[in-house]
Amino acid sequence: MTDAAFSALASLADPSLLIMLAIGVVAGLVIGLIPGLGGTGAVAILLPVTFGMEPEAALAMLIGALAVVHTSDTVAAVLLGAPGSASASVTMLDGYSMARKGQAKRALSLAFLSSMAGGLIGALGLTIAIPLARPMVLSFGSPELFMLTILGVSLAAVLSRGNVVKGLTAGLLGLLLGLVGTSPTTAEERFSFGSLFLSDGMSLVAVALGVFGLAEIASRVGQRRITEKPVELSGGWGAGIREWLTHWSQVIRGALIGIWAGVLPGVGATAGTWLAYGQAVATAKDKRKFGKGDPRGIVGPESANNSVEAGDLIPTFLFGIPGGVPSAMLLGMLLTYGIQPGPAIVTEHLDLMYLIVWAFAIASVAGAFFCFLLTGQLARLTKVPFAVLGPGLLVIMLLGAFQEGGQLGDLWIMVALGVVGFFLKATGMPRAPMLIGFVLAIPMERYYYLTANLYDGFGWMTRPGVMIFAAVLIVPILWSLLKKLRRTAGQVDDGHRDEHDEPDTSAGDELEGSFAGTRWSLGVAVTAVVVFAGALWLSSSFSDEAQLMPRLVAIGGLVMAGLLVAQELRSRPRRPRGADPVPMDDALSGSSGSSTMVATRSRTEPAVEPATRRRDLVIAARTFGAMAVFLVLVGLVGYVAATLVFVPVFLMYAAWTRPRTAIVYTLVLAAMLLALPSLLPVDLPMGVLQ
Amino acid sequence: MTVVVAYADTDPGHAAVRAAAETPGPEGETVVLVPAVRGEAVPTAEEVAARWPGLAGRVQVEHGDVGDPSDQVVQVAQRLGARLVVVGLRARSPVGKLVFGSTAQRILLDATCPVLAVKPAAA
Repeated sequence: MTDAAFSALASLADPSLLIMLAIGVVAGLVIGLIPGLGGTGAVAILLPVTFGMEPEAALAMLIGALAVVHTSDTVAAVLLGAPGSASASVTMLDGYSMARKGQAKRALSLAFLSSMAGGLIGALGLTIAIPLARPMVLSFGSPELFMLTILGVSLAAVLSRGNVVKGLTAGLLGLLLGLVGTSPTTAEERFSFGSLFLSDGMSLVAVALGVFGLAEIASRVGQRRITEKPVELSGGWGAGIREWLTHWSQVIRGALIGIWAGVLPGVGATAGTWLAYGQAVATAKDKRKFGKGDPRGIVGPESANNSVEAGDLIPTFLFGIPGGVPSAMLLGMLLTYGIQPGPAIVTEHLDLMYLIVWAFAIASVAGAFFCFLLTGQLARLTKVPFAVLGPGLLVIMLLGAFQEGGQLGDLWIMVALGVVGFFLKATGMPRAPMLIGFVLAIPMERYYYLTANLYDGFGWMTRPGVMIFAAVLIVPILWSLLKKLRRTAGQVDDGHRDEHDEPDTSAGDELEGSFAGTRWSLGVAVTAVVVFAGALWLSSSFSDEAQLMPRLVAIGGLVMAGLLVAQELRSRPRRPRGADPVPMDDALSGSSGSSTMVATRSRTEPAVEPATRRRDLVIAARTFGAMAVFLVLVGLVGYVAATLVFVPVFLMYAAWTRPRTAIVYTLVLAAMLLALPSLLPVDLPMGVLQ
Repeated sequence: MTVVVAYADTDPGHAAVRAAAETPGPEGETVVLVPAVRGEAVPTAEEVAARWPGLAGRVQVEHGDVGDPSDQVVQVAQRLGARLVVVGLRARSPVGKLVFGSTAQRILLDATCPVLAVKPAAA
């Protein structure tokens, strides 16, 4: 075991791996600085670049980025009061107040050091988990692995924010998406509608970038913030460093909470960070300064959000169950290299595991170091409005999605899924279970067939491992039922610590869930019903073997989506939360308006102004329209030419930048695109006219 | 001096406000209401004064800066240097307590000043 660990360290001495790690760290830091892109964005943007590399180099780069994203996201939170990723909104509470008191450097040094320690402790946790889990993982047969895949999807659905029905619906939608393509058991094509590129299944990058990346771009392009002047970087680094040492117990506690939150599927960096903050407040005797610049409010959460990413990797590599969205993408990447996580990785690829651990640890330290050195310069990046970054990101993301299959069709799927992702996000449907379901669909089916063939009848269900997992599956369901009971029964005493209801409201994201309780969320629920019903109908034409999984998923999905529709209908007459007794005024009289725009406006929702909602919708529609136009252009004239046309137009008419900026931006981007194929194994899409 | 009340729109919560209004204290002592139920609508000071006339002119509504309601109550009490925190208690069997947890209990354990726990009049 230690041999493998040190040989992995020795392999990191290879300069090419170190360079990849360094590239990953720098990219991760930059992505962390950009508001709106967290660990998901980091992996999604870098993942396509790694196609064609050796697995070691690819992992070094991705892990390097993942380890430091939560180190630099603090900068924007502290200096601007606008978090770089959703989880940094916790740090903002105390960090921003501290910065406004002229102690920005104190807040940042506390945060960087805690992030570094969180990453190191996370890497340590990962190291300890390998020998602990190894004998267990090796004893797993296909029944246990099958149960694990079910567990992964359902835990993600139950534990992610929002209600369980929504989570399960999203998880089942993801499973259904994952079943598109050739069936692993009968080589039959399913849901491919005769198209050739769908018979390969949907590309992971296209799904992940669509549901998360493009949806994020569409929802943020409209935000033109930065009216506030950033707080000056003042104070001394030294004081913060010394102070940090006195809070070592908070650092360790935060990191352990983070690892735990990471191990649980669906509980990501955001929830883990809030948990750590809640813990810091609850255990503090003197609570006066929390929210007004208390160092303990920075140290714990910052260390937690880095260790979450390491914790995420534990179930991903050892069991093949991604603990979160970034690790779901890593899992997909490993699968494309033919590395099957789970038993295979602890026997055959142990060196790769330790490489990951070392890369995580080294990146954590290097990331914090870079942050100390460069914050002054990098902080300027946080002032760039998202609308300006949007087209560049779009071009890079689409190019990335193209790399996996080399099909233009993947890009169309990606944009379509971007629209889906936008609506899921807007109506408060969790998207993590969807991606986890997508990744696990095929393993689930494969293990199911192995199990069914190896065991007669239901004999496998009595295996102890299977029964333990079944118990683990039932407990959270009971727990969420209990929570519901408590919500209806408990009033004053409704104060059990609840990690998912923390007030991370508008800080990072105005859109998230802002359409909940409107006719839009009803529409999403009805669409889900239609999709599942269609899948059920289509699957009846498959052979018995190939039909089983799609059918189960479709029936389950129909039940869940039906429940969701019922929930929506029931909550419609009343207010969604019943909290604000805002009168309905003239809303209902206008709701029969013919066009959708009129209809959206006419429904009042106490939490969000209908006008904002309409504006969000219009901007999203325009952005997706622009993406579609871009794809048409790509199909006609090729990628670089399309970029040359699309980016300046978008910058000048959507982001309202000066022409000079737009031209320079476009030229730099185009030069980069032209240079990329010679630096990296990247292909540019060709147009028919080329 | 101030008295902090863990406010909830329930019988025990109202009993707590009443108790705060009636506790003998220095003349003109302020009573600060802190919402102790997540996501519940909070009345304004005027609404409270209209409902409990004894509080008119000396009642405020405050929020803490942290997520958990019990932490909020304790935080506000500490910031204001409150003399007393008043909470309403509900009837709870030991088993019910085990299952549902309690904001009141956490306030009792965490507060750094005396806590007055009141129950609503038996119905």
